[in-house]
This record gives sequence, C-alpha cells and structure tokens, in this order.
Amino acid sequence: MVRYSAQVVIIGGGATGVGILRDLSLRGISSILVEQGDLAHGTSSRFHGLLHSGARYAVKDPVSAAECIRENNILKQIAPECVAATGGWFVQLPGDEVDYAQAWLKGCERTGIPVHEVPLEEALKREPLLAKEALRVFEVPDAAVDGFKLVWENAKSARRCGGRYLTYHRVEAILREGEGVAGVRGENLLTGESFTVEAGMVVNATGAWADRLAASAGASLEVVRDKGILLAFNHRLFQRVINRLRPPGDGDIFVPHETITILGTTSEWVDTPSDNQPSDREVERMMTLGKALLPGIAEKRVIRAFAGVRPLHRSDSEWAEGSEGGRVEEGRGRAVSRTFALIDHEAEEGIKGFLSIVGGKFTTYRLMAEKASDWVAAKLANDVPCRTAAEPLQPELPAHLRRRARALLPCAAAEKTLQRLGRDAAAVLETIARDPDKGQLLCECEMVTVAEVEKTVADEDAHHLADVRRKTRLGMGTCQGAFCTYRALPLMWREGEKYDPLSGELIRFLNQRWKGIRPVLWGDQLRETELTRAIYAGLLDLREGGAAG
Amino acid sequence: MWDGLVIGGGLAGLIAGIRALERGKKILIVSEGVGSLAFAGGVLDFGRVRELRRLEKHPYAYVGEMAERAFSYFLQLNPAYTGTWGRRGSVLTPLGTLRETELLPRRLDASPLFKANKIVVAVPGGLKDFFPEIVKANLQKEFPSGNVRLKKLSVEEFADWRAAGKSIPGTVYAEFWGTERGNTALKRHICEIAGEADSEAIVFPGLPAIGCPEVDEVLAGISLPVVGMTSFPPSAIGLALYESLTRRVKALGGELLIGVGVERVEVESARARRAIVRSKGKETALTAETFVLATGGFLGRGLVATPDDVRETVFGLPLHVPPLRGGKDFLGEQPYARAGIEVDRHLRPCDPATGEVLLENVFAAGRILAHWDPWLEHCGGGVSLSSGLLAGELL
Ligand SMILES: Cc1cc2nc3c(=O)[nH]c(=O)nc-3n(C[C@H](O)[C@H](O)[C@H](O)COP(=O)(O)OP(=O)(O)OC[C@H]3O[C@@H](n4cnc5c(N)ncnc54)[C@H](O)[C@@H]3O)c2cc1C
Ligand SMILES: Cc1cc2nc3c(=O)[nH]c(=O)nc-3n(C[C@H](O)[C@H](O)[C@H](O)COP(=O)(O)OP(=O)(O)OC[C@H]3O[C@@H](n4cnc5c(N)ncnc54)[C@H](O)[C@@H]3O)c2cc1C
Repeated sequence: MVRYSAQVVIIGGGATGVGILRDLSLRGISSILVEQGDLAHGTSSRFHGLLHSGARYAVKDPVSAAECIRENNILKQIAPECVAATGGWFVQLPGDEVDYAQAWLKGCERTGIPVHEVPLEEALKREPLLAKEALRVFEVPDAAVDGFKLVWENAKSARRCGGRYLTYHRVEAILREGEGVAGVRGENLLTGESFTVEAGMVVNATGAWADRLAASAGASLEVVRDKGILLAFNHRLFQRVINRLRPPGDGDIFVPHETITILGTTSEWVDTPSDNQPSDREVERMMTLGKALLPGIAEKRVIRAFAGVRPLHRSDSEWAEGSEGGRVEEGRGRAVSRTFALIDHEAEEGIKGFLSIVGGKFTTYRLMAEKASDWVAAKLANDVPCRTAAEPLQPELPAHLRRRARALLPCAAAEKTLQRLGRDAAAVLETIARDPDKGQLLCECEMVTVAEVEKTVADEDAHHLADVRRKTRLGMGTCQGAFCTYRALPLMWREGEKYDPLSGELIRFLNQRWKGIRPVLWGDQLRETELTRAIYAGLLDLREGGAAG
Repeated sequence: MWDGLVIGGGLAGLIAGIRALERGKKILIVSEGVGSLAFAGGVLDFGRVRELRRLEKHPYAYVGEMAERAFSYFLQLNPAYTGTWGRRGSVLTPLGTLRETELLPRRLDASPLFKANKIVVAVPGGLKDFFPEIVKANLQKEFPSGNVRLKKLSVEEFADWRAAGKSIPGTVYAEFWGTERGNTALKRHICEIAGEADSEAIVFPGLPAIGCPEVDEVLAGISLPVVGMTSFPPSAIGLALYESLTRRVKALGGELLIGVGVERVEVESARARRAIVRSKGKETALTAETFVLATGGFLGRGLVATPDDVRETVFGLPLHVPPLRGGKDFLGEQPYARAGIEVDRHLRPCDPATGEVLLENVFAAGRILAHWDPWLEHCGGGVSLSSGLLAGELL
C-alpha cells in the first residue's frame, strides 16, 4: 500500500482535471491528480480540436457562446503554442434556412463574437475545395487547439509550482470520515499495488465516468454520455475551420490540424464511456454529410476514424428544455446545454468536501477549473486570486534554443521538435550535438528524431508504447507506423524493463493503430494496410496471440 | 502483334512470361512498377498446400498439381535457391527470430546454426534497420545452448556517412560487398572472425545472398558456415531475385516495358484484343492473342478500393468483394485480403455471381486472385509462382 497526502485530490486527468490541478497549484494549495490512464486518456484526446469562437452556439445557447468567446481569447494569449489561430468560416449552402443566418448574425452580435462576411469569389479562391454552391460565407475567430499538448502543458505548469499527478492509477472508492470525505483509495494499474491519497477535499473531474465515481461515495449525479465520431484526413484540406451555417447538426465541421483535417461529428447517447469505436454506418454517414461542404470528399484519403464520448450534465430543467424540437431522436445530446455544472455534494447529499464538475467543453476547461478552484479555495479559506487567465502556460522559448535547433536539424524538423517539446527540447538537442546519429529521423512522416524518442521512452511518465506514440506522434503520420514502429524497437528494447516489444507490446501497438484504420479501409489506407501486414505477418512472422515463430 | 501480353511484372507476371517464352511464344511484359519483390525478403512461402487446396475457390484449388511443379521449376530456374517439396526450412527474420519457409536462397539457410555452439553475428557499421542487440537476444532465445556474440565491422568506405549521422541501407552494403574493394574487405573481415577461437558459425546481415558470384567465391573459401538474414524493406535479396527474373526474360528474347501502365483493354465478343498504354502523353495500342492479368492486389494497384466499391483497374472486371471493414486483430483474419478476381480452372476471369467465363483469352495470376490471404496462410510466393506458371503454360 502506497500512501500520499495533500489538501485536495482531483480525480481525472482530462482538460478539466489538469486545469484544476494547475489553478490550485498556482494558488498554493497542495493537490494531487489521479488518472487511470495516461493524461488525456479520455475525451480530451478524442475530440475535434476546435477552439470554439462561440458562434456555433450563438442562437441556441448564448451563455455557452459568451463563455466560449471569452475563453477563446484567453487561451490564444496564455497558450499560443497549443492554438493555431486559423480563424473559421460559417458557410451557407443552398437549402439552408435563410432565417437562421439572420438569427445567427444577431446572436453573434449580442454575445460579442466578431463576424465579417467574406465575398464569395474571394472565399472560393482562398478555399478551392469548398463547395462552389456556397451562398454566403462569414468569418469568426474559431481556432484549432492541440488537446493532448494543452493537457500536458497544464500538468507541467502545475508541477512547476508543486502540483503532483499519478497516471495509470485508478480510483476505486472515495474514503469517508464522518460527514465528509477523507481522500481516495485505488489501484496502481501498472504494478497492481493499492494506494490511498489522504485529502480533506475530493474533486471529481472524471467526465463521462463522473456518475460512477460519485455513486461510489453514495452521491448521485446524472451524466449523459454523448458519443461523437470523427474522421481524420491525410491533408490539410482547408486552411481554416469550416462550419455550416445552420442549426448545429452532424458532420458539419472541418478542423485543420497541421497536415491533417478532422471532420465531425455526430451525437448519440451511449451507455458506457468506453463505447468509442465508430461503426461502419457512422463512418459512411459522415462521408455523406461531409460531401455538402467538401464535394470531392470520396477521393480524399481518410487515415483514421475515432470517437469520443461527451460528458454532459443533465439537470431536470435543462432536460425539459432539450426535449422540445425535432432533433430529439436523432441527436438528443445536442439539445442538452453544453455549459457545465458544479455539484456540491454537501448541498445535495450532505457529503462535505466533495465536488463534482461535469459538462462544458474543452474550450471552456479553464473557466470550469477556475469555478471549481474558487469553490475549493473558499472552503479552505484561501484568498489567493485565480491567475490562470493571465499567466502563460509555458515560459517563453529562449531564442538561443531555436537557433540551436535550426543548426542541428532540418528546418521543419526543428520547428516540430520545438513545438512538441518546448524547453525540454534542450536536452534532446544536446544529445544530437554529441552524437549526430541520434539526429536521424525515426519517423519521417512526423519528423521525430531518435534522440526525442529515446528521451520519451526513458521518461517516467511513459509506460506503454502507446504513451510514447502520443507524446512523440510516432506512427501517427501517413505511413501509419509501417516503418517507424519497427525503427522504434531498439529504443524500447533498451528500456527492457518497461516494455516487451517483441511479443505482446508490438502487436498491441499495431492493434491500437488498427482500431482507427479499420473503419476507413479504402484507397491508400488499404494499400498501406496490405504493406504493413506483409511486413509484420510476412517478413517478421509475428502472429496474433504470440511472439514470432 | 504478340502471342501473349503480360500486364504486370511482379513475381506472377514474370514467371508467366518466362514460361511462355520457353515454350517459344512471342511475349511482351508491360509493367507500371517493379512489383512487390523489392519489399519481400527473398524467400518464397508455399504454406500448407494440401490443406489450402481443399478450400473452395482458393487459388491452390485451381492450380492443382501445378504447385509442386512450380516449386521444382523455380529451383531449376534459380540454382541459388534450395528447398525440398513437403518440407520446411528455416531462415532468420530481420530481428533474428527463426521462421519457416519452403523456398529459400541457400545463403539464408539457418539450419547450420542448430549445430553451432558459438555463433558470431557480424555487425557492419551503421547498417540501416538492423538492430544488433535485439538480434543477439533473439538468437540467444532461439538457440539456448549456443553462445551468441556480436562482432563490429568498421568499413572505411562508409566513414563519411557515419560522420554525418547517416545509416547505410542494406541495398548499398550488398552492392558494396560485390565490388573489388568490398570484396577484399569482406574477405578480410570474414577471415578474421573465422580465425577467432570462439566462432563456429557466422550470421551476416546485408549480404547479397543471390546473384553475386564474387561474394559467393569469398564465402566458399571459408570453413565456417556463413548464414545471411532476410532484411527489412527495401531488400537487396528481393531486388536481386527481381533482376535475375527480368534478365531471364530478356535472355529468352522477351520484351519488357517497365514504367508503363496499361490504361484499359479493348474487348470484343468476350475476347481481349488490344491493350491501350499511355506513354509521354501518347496513346499506343498493343495487340496480342492472349493476355495475362498479373497486376497485383491492392498493393500492386490491380485493385483499388473507394469507400463503397472495389474496382479492377484494367478490365473493370466484376470481383469477389467481402465486406472490407476489417477484422478485430490486425494480424488475424482480414476480409479485404480475400478480395479479387474469381477464375475457372484455366485462370480465366469469371463472373462471381453466375460463374460464367467473362474473357476467353485472359488468364489472371498472383495477388489479384480472390479467396486467399498470403499473410495468414503464409503462401504469398507459392500462389504467385504456381498461378504464374500455369498462366505461362496457357498463353
Ligand atoms: C466527438 C467530440 C468532439 C468534441 N469536439 C470538441 C471541440 O471541438 N471543442 C471543444 O471545446 N470541445 C469538444 N468536445 C468536448 C470536449 O472534448 C470535452 O468536453 C472535454 O474533453 C471533457 O474533458 P474532461 O476533462 O471533463 O473529461 P475527460 O477528458 O474524459 O477526462 C476524464 C478523465 O477521468 C479519468 N477517469 C475516469 N474514471 C476514473 C477513475 N475511477 N480513476 C481515475 N481516473 C478516472 C478518465 O480516464 C479521463 O481521462 C468534443 C467531444 C466529443 C466527444
Ligand atoms: C513487404 C512484403 C513482404 C513479402 N514477404 C513475402 C514472404 O515472406 N514470402 C513470400 O512468399 N512472399 C512475400 N512477398 C511477396 C508476395 O507474396 C508476392 O510478390 C505477391 O504475392 C504478389 O505478386 P504479384 O506478382 O501478384 O503482384 P505484384 O508484385 O504486386 O506485381 C504487380 C505488378 O503489376 C503492376 N501493375 C499494376 N497495374 C498495372 C497496369 N494497369 N499496367 C501495368 N502494370 C500494372 C504493378 O506496378 C506491379 O509491378 C512479400 C511482399 C511484400 C510486399
């Protein structure tokens, strides 16, 4: 049994949880975050990556819209390295309600979302793949956000001021003492050991899992699990976020991220948070829907399909409001408000020191964290004000580091490395300076050097090949890991204690990549699949369920 | 006007062409690319032919006895290979694990390692995609009673590559060992290892295992067995096999057009007449009596899949198409792998719905055939060879 103690324990290492960890740590409140997987293991890495301007909600949900535009501006300031300020367009197509455009313009004005119309001719010139039938195009300050990176930057920033986090630790029960809580108990999933965190306050930020966790303390909470699927395309098809100007529906947003584009999404209630596998039918439907904005969609290469589960909070009043209207059957989730809920279980069930926070959006994670932290601080009589709206997430990169990277690596690889690693790039660059071999690109698609993978593999936060993949983006490029998975082997090997690359781990890694490719098996993706199977099952003779041989 | 036009110059198409040429036919092979041999390790798997023959519509069910004939035919065509029908040999994978196969270059035969107590792995400096520590550990696991050690070879020629932090592809090393300087260096390195007390067998990655007499001569003079390894793509051995087959085509008077794709074939009353190729923007028609369709599967681009359809790219033939979306385990059963052309006993394309022969004078061979999975059934080379040989008999 391993014991930890702190003033506050936060459960859940998604955007909301790490946001709270950072906020509390900046206020000098000692906190530990506990996450059952790697950070961003839940919805915060299975989402669209749209930093909403709020325009999508301008008509139906002005409160959400106002929160979004505020947070959108803040995040562009405090986390420029995680946000690509691409801007976004709302495009009206033939058949889209004309009245909606009017209501939408008014809604944006009311909530303070800047909008300006883009002349059609110019729009089609700037986005040549966009449907030529477009009727009107409006620009708003939507942006693309790197969720995985933002989550990690929050955690690192928290760590710099004393915050701690435990990954691969699952909370099994909330400890009670009298009328209040006394911490949590659970299992270290890597070692099988049990652990406790003693803390007078517990914050439940487990998103789509939140009701289950609350129930373990005898508290109740209603969470709607709203699944959405996403398709990732091989190219940057659009230079900015493209939305459809109509009441929010399925398959009507494209978000460009670096060299890929993500199309989404859908809305369907599911029973469990682990229901995150897109079905063939959903993929087909997404391709059909996406065609309206991108007529050439069938020829574009889809590199993977994935799904996430939105944690929405359902309070009775919101539900009543949501159940009107025609979209209830098809996309019930969308009628539930997306603003978040703080549930003080003392007020609800008389359990002291226990707070749940659910709902919201990735875009508003900081605001959610601020509200949760205000609540905690008030209980602890801590009056240090919240600083997360002004304090940059990452200390600025020193100019000499950029120069050093450019001197040692090809330009594009230097930029990518700095983007991924920030200041941590310094150690990687020194390794390359000492041993030029280590500057070789292990992953040619994502431009990851041997030195970087080595560093990540050795990192105490990396426990599986999949953690290394998420941190370095190894195997996420167009070759889908056919070559770099093999090339990463010796690096894993050196950390022989942690990984067993030749048997289970390698096959597990291939299967994880496969999950996303399986539903989009056509075109070049299918060619790549044949090649990858030829290499791993043919040449290397790896077999399902066992080592080589 | 040719007797036979072969579309696709991978393993299947080349064998079909060679066999037809031997039979005195006038043959042209047109191929867009060099085929998948360049990726393959150079060994040819046949798999459990007897069991697979019993599967309805499996290519082995059509080629029948031709599988065994193809096996001996290939051995006679390529004396650098060895194998015994009905038995399996062993080779080393690029990771140093053992794997079974049926037809293998002699140089890759790993059987001497079973008898060696002291195994030395030569490590040519900077060899790309070769991981000495992993290979050593795997060999140690495969041969627990032997002692495995690594021996670094530093090769002057590549000092500049190394200083710049570049690794040296296996294809470059293989070529180097065949040059005069390389040959001298190889001899020196191998003799040195052979002279050391604790060596009984040498494992040597990146050797040109076939088609390089200079290297064979050096190795013949060594008293220890020297065992090569299959390599990660691109593979020098696969390329050498490809080259030896194309040389054979030319030696028999066949014509090869590489880098040219057939756009379509004109068909009249169930017979293919003229293949249309486009080169430098100009269309040319090639007329032949008979045709072989050996354009490969999805990798070769004989088949192309869209979200809702699979197309055969030359004739637009109707296909057997299982539901494409994959099975759960990546290396397990994958329905897509069995998509392709259904044929009759003479490899003529049939309509999968009615069984009716669609083209009288076209024979399909290799990966483009339906109802098999080379990676699960370990029979990639065997099926391509046997169906290619049968097509070569029919042309
Ligand atoms: C398809 C889709 C698209 C979306 N697109 C956008 C978008 O473009 N823009 C936007 O702003 N928002 C978007 N969202 C919403 C956004 O992704 C979520 O609101 C947000 O990520 C939720 O973060 P979270 O931290 O609350 O939950 P999560 O990220 O799910 O974090 C909860 C964590 O708790 C952990 N956990 C659960 N139980 C336990 C336990 N017992 N012990 C330890 N740990 C536990 C989980 O492993 C998980 O990591 C989208 C959502 C979906 C599904
Ligand atoms: C990575 C890898 C590993 C392998 N490992 C093994 C192994 O371990 N054991 C084994 O036995 N086999 C192995 N193989 C080899 C494989 O089994 C055979 O080569 C395969 O079965 C296919 O041969 P093929 O001739 O049918 O097709 P391909 O080799 O794909 O050749 C088809 C050719 O047709 C050309 N073509 C396509 N369309 C046109 C057109 N319209 N006009 C003109 N030309 C066209 C293509 O460019 C290509 O050159 C491996 C292959 C790969 C890729």
